[in-house]
Amino acid sequence: MKGASRRSYLISLFLSILLALVVGGVLMALTGHDPINGYQQLISGTLGLFDENGFNICVWNDRGIGNTLYKAAQLCITGLATAVAAQAGIFNVGGEGQMYLGALGSAWLGAQLSGVSPWITIPLCLLFAAVCGALYAWVPAVMKVKMGINEVITTILLNTVAIKFCTYMATGPLKTAERGINQGTDAVDKAFLFDKLIPGSSLTESIFYIAVISLIVWYLMSRTTAGYQMKLIGQNERFARFAGIPADRLAIIAMLISGAMCGLLGMFESFGLWKRFRPDFSNEFYFDGMLVAMIMRYQPLGIVLMSLFFGVLKMGGAAMQSQAGISSVLIQIIQSIIIFFMAAEEGILQNLRARRAVSAAKRQTVKEG
Amino acid sequence: MPGSEENTIVSFRHVSMQFPGVLANDDVSLDIRRGEVFALVGENGAGKSTLMNILYGMNAPTSGEVWVKGRRVESFSPRDAIDRGIGMVHQHFKLVPSFTVAQNIVLNCEPRRGIFYDFAAARKTVEKLVDEYGLQVNPGDRVEDISVGLQQRVEILKTFHRGADVLILDEPTAVLTPKETDELFSVIRSIVREKQMTVIIITHKLYEVMAISDRVGVMRQGRLVAVKETKEVDERILASLMVGKEVLLSALPHPDDHDDTVAVEVRDLTVKDNRGLLAVRGLSLKVERGEILGIVGIEGNGQSELIEAITGLRPIESGQIFIQGKDTRGLTPGKIRALGLAHVPEDRLSTGVSAKADITDNVVVGKEKTPEFSVAGIHMKRGAMKRYAQKLYEQFDIRGAGIDAQAGELSGGNMQKVVVAREFSYDTPVLIISQPTRGVDIGAMDFIHQQIMQKRNRSCAILLVSADLDELYRLSDRLVTIYEGRLTGEFTPGSIPKTEISYYMTGGGREEKK
Repeated sequence: MKGASRRSYLISLFLSILLALVVGGVLMALTGHDPINGYQQLISGTLGLFDENGFNICVWNDRGIGNTLYKAAQLCITGLATAVAAQAGIFNVGGEGQMYLGALGSAWLGAQLSGVSPWITIPLCLLFAAVCGALYAWVPAVMKVKMGINEVITTILLNTVAIKFCTYMATGPLKTAERGINQGTDAVDKAFLFDKLIPGSSLTESIFYIAVISLIVWYLMSRTTAGYQMKLIGQNERFARFAGIPADRLAIIAMLISGAMCGLLGMFESFGLWKRFRPDFSNEFYFDGMLVAMIMRYQPLGIVLMSLFFGVLKMGGAAMQSQAGISSVLIQIIQSIIIFFMAAEEGILQNLRARRAVSAAKRQTVKEG
Repeated sequence: MPGSEENTIVSFRHVSMQFPGVLANDDVSLDIRRGEVFALVGENGAGKSTLMNILYGMNAPTSGEVWVKGRRVESFSPRDAIDRGIGMVHQHFKLVPSFTVAQNIVLNCEPRRGIFYDFAAARKTVEKLVDEYGLQVNPGDRVEDISVGLQQRVEILKTFHRGADVLILDEPTAVLTPKETDELFSVIRSIVREKQMTVIIITHKLYEVMAISDRVGVMRQGRLVAVKETKEVDERILASLMVGKEVLLSALPHPDDHDDTVAVEVRDLTVKDNRGLLAVRGLSLKVERGEILGIVGIEGNGQSELIEAITGLRPIESGQIFIQGKDTRGLTPGKIRALGLAHVPEDRLSTGVSAKADITDNVVVGKEKTPEFSVAGIHMKRGAMKRYAQKLYEQFDIRGAGIDAQAGELSGGNMQKVVVAREFSYDTPVLIISQPTRGVDIGAMDFIHQQIMQKRNRSCAILLVSADLDELYRLSDRLVTIYEGRLTGEFTPGSIPKTEISYYMTGGGREEKK
């Protein structure tokens, strides 16, 4: 996107968010809550500009900020994983399964390598997590390219397979002998775990990895010849093939990258929060990232920024629920409304633009006449 | 006073249409008479389609009035236009590929039995229409499986089914073979004569105006510059009215200095079409450097499949293809290009460009990994790409909103210039060119022809497929006729008149050869 179309897109995005927040406020009022208090809780639970009583501005909420950044990083990497594939014309809905395999694989390897130097173990685990995710994405990619099987369906189905498989492993063959843990693999050696950056929050060192990965992906998508070729495949595959771009190979590569990113995120979850693989670690957050990517039309920079905003919404929703007693379902409603408006945006804008052009032209003819 | 005449069926009164930045119609007043064939001619962007889109209700005019059958048009929408008896067949067909012919024709006014779609009745309705108007189609065929000419008939029948008595045809012959064009014209004549239909035909091709129309209107830069009785004008007069200067295409010199190196060789090739039927059946040909070999044939006789096989877009069943002496079997389109081949495809919108990408992206593709545009084939040099695109934009006289505009926003002729600019700038020894000037105005056509001749004179081996006989005769050194996937004859343009070559295009040469 460029120039005028980007500007108008950003304007409608802003308006959509504003409208969604207003609708959210109305819903709070209708259900007998104070909307101002609700949104204050949302902010204070994440950034901390208000204290619990609604004043005393600028008390930073370290924990809130940490949790928000953690959520944002999660959304960012899953969003970018969606975008890499989607821009190349292949849709990865299977990130959840790829993430599970990365989480399990790396946690298992981490437990096996107890006592080895972290300088060896951590890179090995990173590599293994990426490979697990990438291989699991490779299967549907090859099925699409070689046999023409719709990747949306195969990736969705493979999600279930991976999640059930990992759950089975963590409750059966790989279940830890540690007492008090019903499901989960053996703990990863403490020396390998990612340290918390803000105590009490979920933010760990993994955010640095995520930042680097995001930067690489942004560069790949917008500054390299491979990204250029992938974009052309996504826009018009027939044209790309005709022009000699190896469309099959690039679609597979895009899918491998997407899968690797999901696998890595799985490892960050295992090594950061849970210290082992736990089959309940994810709350389907790949799909939240997918939504962010779709709202921003697979533009990498936009995905990063929108992840921050959605991070605030997600974490703030939890705070609203605990502090103001407003169900966090409300946040999901707000999120859905934004998506709804953005989906309608194109049609509405076109309509407005056409009307404006007509009335401008009429004025001009009247003047000339 | 327009409209006062009893036999005026459509009347435009001082119609202007202002699009952002473009005055597409400028104070156009025009009466169309009941039961005539009216031809509307003009270069690309002259405002012909805009005017007809107003009549069909796609756009409301910025100012002015439109009267149909003595009533002023108040509301502009295609549905209202259809109710008034206006039917339009667009240049790009609006059919559902996976539906049958019958389903497409009755679309939106399907016969029902209870709440169920009545397929039998739909079929019967269509068979009745076919008989009535003499437009032969098979109601049970799927639209994606039939030729473009037949698809057009489906579009025309669709308007009849909705009760049209004013039929607008937007460049109907752009996609047709000479034979199909003749058939279309005889259909037009019979519906005008027997059904008192009124036909408005938008076209570039002046000999068609002479062949079919009663009156002709010429548009230039949004204005209607002349309305004439067809018998009072000739092609030369029309051409000069269209462009404001005389440009009937002159003959191009063919200096004979080509070397005998064979650059393209096809041996006993067989290729299947989308339906799995043999489209190319044991075809052999050679193209030498410095010559243009023109393939003459009615569309759908294997030309498209032959070209797609040569360029690697379609697998071959048997036989061999050599580009610059190398067998292309098993190679991807990209690898075949690397052997020294460039390709102007027949369908520019779906294959020739990426409509959503900007012009820069569209002309650079294929060169993005060269040192000129990338560091080590990885990091893009956007600046160099843009400078290069700007150079081609000027060199090929592309007219649009600049190199950052989407290719899809360009008019047909300018989009084709983008394709030609890219493919010709690869500087390959072999060029495969399909329908280079389909739907392109005369100015752009002449320009593209000059570019092709330049390539020939620089020892390029060129294989040319076109539905336009004039184009083939003007450009080719040799001509081969194709019929049902086989070659039926070989000629030089001087050795056979255009009127006689059609004998070979319809399979005439085969028996003689045996």
